Amino acid sequence: MILALLLAAAVPDFAQIHAIFTARCTGCHSESARQGGLSLETHAGALKTVTPGNSASSTLMARIGGGKPPVMPLGGQPLSPAEIAAIGAWIDGGAPGPAASRSTGEARSWQPTLALRAPALPPGAEAHPLDRLLRVYLGPQGELAETTDALLLRRTYFDLWGLPPTPEQAAAWAADPSPEKHAALIARLLESKQRYAAHWISFWNDLLRNDPGVVYHGDRKSITSWLQNALESNMPYDRFVQALLNPREKNDPEGFLIGVNWRGDINASQKPVMQAAQNTAQVFLGINLKCNSCHDSFINQWKLKDAYGLASFFSDEPLAIYRCDAPVGQMAQAKFLYPELGGVASDAPLEVKRAQAAKLFTMPENGRTPRTLVNRIWRELFGRGLVEPVDDMDAEPWSADILDWLAADFVAHGWDIQHLLTRIMTSRAYRLASDGAAPGAPYRFRGPVPRRLSAEQFADTVSAITGQWRLQIPRGAGKASYARDWEIKSTALGRALGRPIRDQVFTERQTQPTTLQALELVNGSTLASTLERGSRRLLGELDPAPAPLADSGAINSQTVTIDVPVRGRKKLWLLLEDVDSYDPGRVKAGWAEAAFDQGGPLPGPHTAIAFKEQAGRPALEAKLGTTMIVDVPRGATRFTATVGVDASSLSSDINPRVRFFVFGAQPDPAQLYAVEGDPPVAFTPVKKKQLLDRVYRHALGRPPTALERKLAGKLDAEVLEDTLWAIFLSPEFQFIR
Amino acid sequence: MLTRREFLATAAASSALAAAGKIQPTADTLILLWMAGGMAQTETFDPKRYTPFESGMDPNRVLSTFPSIDTAVDNIKISQGLERIARVMDRGSLIRTYQAGDLGHILHSRHQYHWHTGYAPPQSVAAPHIGAWIARTLGPREPDMPAFIDIGQSLEIGAESDALKAFHTAGFLGTEYGPFFITDPRDAAVAVRPPGHITPERFEKRYERYKKLLEAGPAHPAERTGAQQESLRRAVENAHRLLLSPAAQAFDLSRESKETIDTYTAGDPGNRFGLGCLLARRLTEAGARFVEVTTEYIPFRYWDTHENGHQRTIQVKNTIDAPISRLVLDLEERGLLDRTLIVVASEFGRDMMQEGKPGKPVKDQVKIPDRLTDVKHYGMHRHFTEAGSVLLFGGGVKKGFLYGTTSGERPCKVVDKPVRIEDLHATIYHAMGIAPNHGYEVEKRPFYVTRDGKGKPILELFS
Repeated sequence: MILALLLAAAVPDFAQIHAIFTARCTGCHSESARQGGLSLETHAGALKTVTPGNSASSTLMARIGGGKPPVMPLGGQPLSPAEIAAIGAWIDGGAPGPAASRSTGEARSWQPTLALRAPALPPGAEAHPLDRLLRVYLGPQGELAETTDALLLRRTYFDLWGLPPTPEQAAAWAADPSPEKHAALIARLLESKQRYAAHWISFWNDLLRNDPGVVYHGDRKSITSWLQNALESNMPYDRFVQALLNPREKNDPEGFLIGVNWRGDINASQKPVMQAAQNTAQVFLGINLKCNSCHDSFINQWKLKDAYGLASFFSDEPLAIYRCDAPVGQMAQAKFLYPELGGVASDAPLEVKRAQAAKLFTMPENGRTPRTLVNRIWRELFGRGLVEPVDDMDAEPWSADILDWLAADFVAHGWDIQHLLTRIMTSRAYRLASDGAAPGAPYRFRGPVPRRLSAEQFADTVSAITGQWRLQIPRGAGKASYARDWEIKSTALGRALGRPIRDQVFTERQTQPTTLQALELVNGSTLASTLERGSRRLLGELDPAPAPLADSGAINSQTVTIDVPVRGRKKLWLLLEDVDSYDPGRVKAGWAEAAFDQGGPLPGPHTAIAFKEQAGRPALEAKLGTTMIVDVPRGATRFTATVGVDASSLSSDINPRVRFFVFGAQPDPAQLYAVEGDPPVAFTPVKKKQLLDRVYRHALGRPPTALERKLAGKLDAEVLEDTLWAIFLSPEFQFIR
Repeated sequence: MLTRREFLATAAASSALAAAGKIQPTADTLILLWMAGGMAQTETFDPKRYTPFESGMDPNRVLSTFPSIDTAVDNIKISQGLERIARVMDRGSLIRTYQAGDLGHILHSRHQYHWHTGYAPPQSVAAPHIGAWIARTLGPREPDMPAFIDIGQSLEIGAESDALKAFHTAGFLGTEYGPFFITDPRDAAVAVRPPGHITPERFEKRYERYKKLLEAGPAHPAERTGAQQESLRRAVENAHRLLLSPAAQAFDLSRESKETIDTYTAGDPGNRFGLGCLLARRLTEAGARFVEVTTEYIPFRYWDTHENGHQRTIQVKNTIDAPISRLVLDLEERGLLDRTLIVVASEFGRDMMQEGKPGKPVKDQVKIPDRLTDVKHYGMHRHFTEAGSVLLFGGGVKKGFLYGTTSGERPCKVVDKPVRIEDLHATIYHAMGIAPNHGYEVEKRPFYVTRDGKGKPILELFS
């Protein structure tokens, strides 16, 4: 995109020139230093030493080119020929400033409006309004082809549930003769609130920088349960934004405005209220306030006081303005980015200011909020936005009419996100065959761009096919439950596939394949162990893991009493596992007073364990990560013990956290926890003969070809595992077309 | 058709700024030896008056809990317990005046973020790790050797895990330039081997199967020609090439003799830092560009001495003394030291009394008794950001050179030549041939290897 922009505009933009000034000149020629009376820190300052349109008569060029001594930079390395050439080209191009630079080339004539327009629908044979508008955009060219029935189904499932259709769902789809079946499918998928939310929540977590399973130092508050609920109840988007901007109730998503804070002193431009201004502007309005949180922007029209003006809405005290972390001696005035919509008194109470912000962001006259969301959702569905980059909503859309028509329709239908999804997905535009045009070429819409599966879609699909899900493990004693990938903190595999570290707002993921990512797919332990167990499960060769008779839950300084019936058992397996101790090697822990109700003391090394503030008790000492097998004496009916960590281990550098288990049968080290509930996708065992067929249909939406059957050969666990691996790494699997 | 690299060049999240001035590099490889948790400078490379433990002593009297020792350089004395490093001091430069950022109430991971990226979090864009800057700017030295290798740090360490993850990334530069992690050097070979249960023969057959299946599939034309799809196939191919390349053998420590391993670990088979240094040597020989080896940050462990500092510092020094000195000598023996810059650094220093910076009180995290009666209170238990030590070996820096002085009396402030992170980074980048104002554009704004592009290399350090 940036490359395309530079190509379109032969004149370097001011940001580029400013970068050279900053690197080489502003040490002396800054606003504060002003040596020789010159500041190259601002556009206005630079104009004092250049003649726009004529580099040859510009003092600046003479100084840096050596034509007029002293040569600048004074006493430093001369500028490189490339830098001098860039500055020359910029001057000859009229020395545009930040505002003008924004609208070079194609975008020169474009001025975004604030209010939504209501584009008239052109006449046409197309039933769907979007397709009529698209016809105008495409002009009198040949008809674009629709994708296949099977690919459309796969695309639709991934876009609404984040999962591929099962072979049964695909068979029902293929057999359905109704011309309305796609619309019916969309409606049915949206009815499953949980699955819809389980897919779209990752999109929102990226935007709202909420990361389930993550603990940060300093203030941070999860908004997961609110968000999940908002998605499942299809909360209207205006109310959704209002709750984020003006949290009032206990269950409201306060965490978004709190943001991600780090212990210690924070740069003025990154104070929580400044982050709130940057994030709300970026996420909801597609406006970048990052530069002008520190100084007036060089890349757009926004000024330092604009960032502070918005931040003031979220501040419970008057804000002093800082420029590049130095106070300028002025107080900020609360001012919305579009003051024509209204404002608020700077000294109003926080509740009033937040409520006013919530109103300003979502009032009917503000077309920016719905337009920004429509564009983000369009990008999710088509792989490229109507406006790119999605965080610069001042840029020209490739079809302003489609953008505004959809946004107006969205607002007219009560800011209903599911209505918006339905509206877009029921168009013929959504059904078009994907367009894999080479990147870099000027963009022209010709159908959806192939999209890489997200980290979560990849993991959930592998789980759906193999039945091998991640588990949500309770901190205390209790049963684990099956989880979709978003619910748990990221793995190395998930991060390699693009799940971001959400200490920032992420509006676009990095989805390009890389060698590091491929290494994780080729020999990383997460995928390898999933496929190893998954293939055995598919073949019916994976014995169900025994549930523990007792599970202590995570133990730090507390003790837990174990009391399990053992009648009819021959042996017990006693396990001690590390959870996340700082220094597992030094944790001393054990089974105190471990005994059966019949028979003598347990054999094994005994030691004294002193639990917190208690005298030592004889205990069976346990090593982390080991299993002891003990014989159950004849006639015994109970086994009892008190488990815990020795007081000597309760130091800050050891920080023990361990978990004790008792099993009555050989435990499966890969699954120690009892699991309750159903997996997110039911596992359907099939006969070996049908297995390959099922796997292909589930993963790729088609049966294997004769050649693929032949290559699979005799399906044992190893061959199946390697075949699954090959499928999951294929472009056909990894891209939504 | 685009090649993968061309594709990446167009798809990358960031684009290069106008070229900064050219610098002749003095090093091709950077090895960063990270003293995680805050290395007490007065107990290591900047010893002060030695005050042995006496029951009832005033803690204010304690500056160093070890005597100092001579080194191979006349005017440089360092702390007891670092005898082997003392003997190679004539191969490097010692900076005693590194001043950590003034970030208020101390948080290790935040200072580590600051050191590794040059930017203090929070930032409005994801700041790249120094290894990622170098990987992006210089690329790999050998095509089969990842350009950015990170050895020894677990990313799951409890409450600060996500703060660690936040800077162990390529940030806005794009995941292509991120770290190749070796969490435990004892397992390094595993990282470049097929998954445990898959034999090498099966591994090769699996890849053959993959290629045949791609040929056999009824792929949509876009699957065969699309740039993204093509780049996925190439990435998988690159991963296999890397895993099967001779370079992968560099990750295998079992190819070293027991004698060599013992030299690096000082006879302690659990000395992962020592093994990491040995691995760094092997990787450098095989063409690594950037390798970080850490003693590992886990709260309250290793250099993070909150109590019993004297005793624990003996252990940590014992962990680092042999491998650091051996690494220097081994690279020298192999003729590689001249083109390899070794940097030994930590997020900040430590002191017995002063938390943060003198004259700017921040919240104390460790209580110091008025009189020392228990030896567990004897040590540098507070975080000191006013001064810390940095060692540099090889890579064109001066030999046997001392830079900067700190006061001999508490609060042991910097007396002359303070070095801030942007200048230290500028110096390191300078050795690697990268200008301090080299940078990339992200969200249309420039972002530089040193803050605002304004770091100044300490040219005095170069020979």
